[in-house]
Amino acid sequence: MATNDPLQASIRIAGAGLDAQSARLRIISENIANSQSTATAPGGDPYVRKTVSFENEMDRAAGFSLVRVKNIGLDDTPFRVEEDPGNPAADDKGFVKMPNVDVLVELADMREANRTYEANLQVAKQSSDLMSMTVNLLKDV
Amino acid sequence: MSQVYLFQIASQRTQWLSTRQSLIADNVANASTPGYQARDLPPFSAVLDRAQVSMATTDPAHMTPTQVGFDLARPEDEDGANATISGNSVNLQDEMIKLGEVSREYSETTNIKKIFHQMMLSALK
Repeated sequence: MATNDPLQASIRIAGAGLDAQSARLRIISENIANSQSTATAPGGDPYVRKTVSFENEMDRAAGFSLVRVKNIGLDDTPFRVEEDPGNPAADDKGFVKMPNVDVLVELADMREANRTYEANLQVAKQSSDLMSMTVNLLKDV
Repeated sequence: MSQVYLFQIASQRTQWLSTRQSLIADNVANASTPGYQARDLPPFSAVLDRAQVSMATTDPAHMTPTQVGFDLARPEDEDGANATISGNSVNLQDEMIKLGEVSREYSETTNIKKIFHQMMLSALK
């Protein structure tokens, strides 16, 4: 849908921003939920932390740019190793590889995603308020 | 006709404000995009000055440069001094302040339009 109205464009851009931030929140929740997920086989690799990256995408038809998720990657930081011989994922020396997820980092990232989500929401809300201001010009003439 | 000119300025301002609003939307949406540079419009007075020296249109197909569009957008911070390590120069607080400005100025312009209209109506009554 091509649009020449900048206010409609703002609502669409803010919507794309909301989508991007919710994708980010989804990845964060996956990471937190799997922060203790070890391998199923003894000595195997545990859950690998996922990362998300965004890019600016030009909508040529409409003449403005949006945002979208560029890729969902894997974090290559080394795994933490704990000694826990009773764990089913432990190798023959009794060491278990734990996921490379730092819950504190995820929580900090979550706050930022939250804040950006709210900002996008406010832009969308205000754009529609501005549109109704113009519509209301017709109300009491 | 002078009144028509008033309406023209008012609608140009509305156009400027709407374009600014969508640039704010773009900046906020890209607040986490690596390498993204925040953009803004030049002040309205600059846009108006440019419009006054516009070219003559002798054919309906001629385009007037008075249109306020996305092509006027400039990076806010040219040298990238405020950019984070990922190259992103969006400052959410600044964008929220600008959002408030746009809202205030838009309702001001809308009220001005309403008053122009009442002025014209009072001549008829």
